[in-house]
Amino acid sequence: MATGILTKEVAIYAVPLVTLLIGILIGYLAQRSGYCSIGGFRDYVLFRHTRLLSGYVTLIIASFFGYLLFWFLTPAAMEHFFWAFTSDPLTPVPGAPAGLLPGAYLIFAAIPGFFVGLICVLLGGCPIRQTVMASEGSYKAAFFFVGMCVGSVIFAAFVSGWVVVLMRAIGLGA
Amino acid sequence: MPAASDTTSLYALMSRLSRHPAFLGALIGIVAAFSQALLISAGGPEAYGFCVACHTRDLVNGLSNIIAGTSLALAPLSKNAILPVMSVVGVMIGAFLSAKVHKEHKIRKTDYQEYLIYFIGGFVVLQLAMIFGGCPYRAALRTGYGDITALLFIITMALGVIVGTLLMLRQAEKEIN
Repeated sequence: MATGILTKEVAIYAVPLVTLLIGILIGYLAQRSGYCSIGGFRDYVLFRHTRLLSGYVTLIIASFFGYLLFWFLTPAAMEHFFWAFTSDPLTPVPGAPAGLLPGAYLIFAAIPGFFVGLICVLLGGCPIRQTVMASEGSYKAAFFFVGMCVGSVIFAAFVSGWVVVLMRAIGLGA
Repeated sequence: MPAASDTTSLYALMSRLSRHPAFLGALIGIVAAFSQALLISAGGPEAYGFCVACHTRDLVNGLSNIIAGTSLALAPLSKNAILPVMSVVGVMIGAFLSAKVHKEHKIRKTDYQEYLIYFIGGFVVLQLAMIFGGCPYRAALRTGYGDITALLFIITMALGVIVGTLLMLRQAEKEIN
C-alpha cells in the first residue's frame, strides 16, 4: 500500500480540496493559452504550428521529471515508478477494466486512441478544451460535457462489463 | 526608476508565460506528481493527478453514489475520500473566472442538430477514454510514469487526428470547388 505525505485520515478530507485548487489553476491557464492536446497535432498537420503541440510534448516530459523528482523525495508514494521496469511492461497502470491479458490492453489503447483522436479533431477540441469552451459560454461544448456526464454513468453500469465479456470471448481474459 | 520597470517587465513576463501552452504543460506534469505524492494514501490508482474524462466519471458517479445511494464504479481515491475528485469543477471555475476577467466570456448558441452531435460526441469519447483508462492528459501522465500502452494510445491518437484533419481538408476543398 502506497503512502503519501498526508496520512489516510487527512488525505480523505484533502482530496476534494486539493484537486479543486489544482483544477482552478489549470482551468485559468488553459483558458489563457487555449491549451489542447488534439489541437496541437491538428495545428501541426495543417499549418506546421508547434505552439499548441509544445504544450502536450512538454506535459509528457514534465510528468516524467515530476514523477522522478517525487520518486526521490517520497519514494513510498511512487510505488511503481518507473512502471515498465517495476511491472510487466505491457500491462497498463490501473484504470482500465481489470482482469484481462496484456493483449487486451494493447487493443484498449490502440483502437480507442485512434477514435478519440478522430472524433475530437472533428468536434474541434479534446475534453479539456471542450470543458474550457463550455465555461467560456459555448453551448455546444457544454453539450459535449453533458454527454460525458451521461456517458460516465452508462459506462459504469453497462459498457465496462460488456468490453470485459467481449475480450473474454476472443480469448484475452486472464 | 529601475524598480518600477523591473516589476513591469516581471508582470509582462508572467503574462506571456501564462499564455504559452508549454508553461501549462510543465505545470500540469509537476502538479500531478505532487498531488500523487500528497494524496496517494487515500487510494490509487497511480498517475491519476489530472484527467478530464476519469475525473468527470469520478465526480458524476461519486456524487450519484452519495446522493442517490447507487454503487457505480469509480477510482479508489474518490471512493475512499469524503467527496470525489473536484478537478473538473475547478477547471470550469478557473476557466470561467479567466474568461470573465479578460472579457472573453460570450454566450454562443447554435442549432439543436449540432447540440445532438456534440452530446453524442462527448458520450462516445468518454466510453473510449474509459476503455483505455484515461483521456489524452492521463495518457501523457501515464507515459511519463513509464506505461508503454499509454504511449501506444498517444501514437494512435495522433494517427486519428491526422486522418480527421485530412477528412476536414477534403471537405473544405469540396466546398470551395
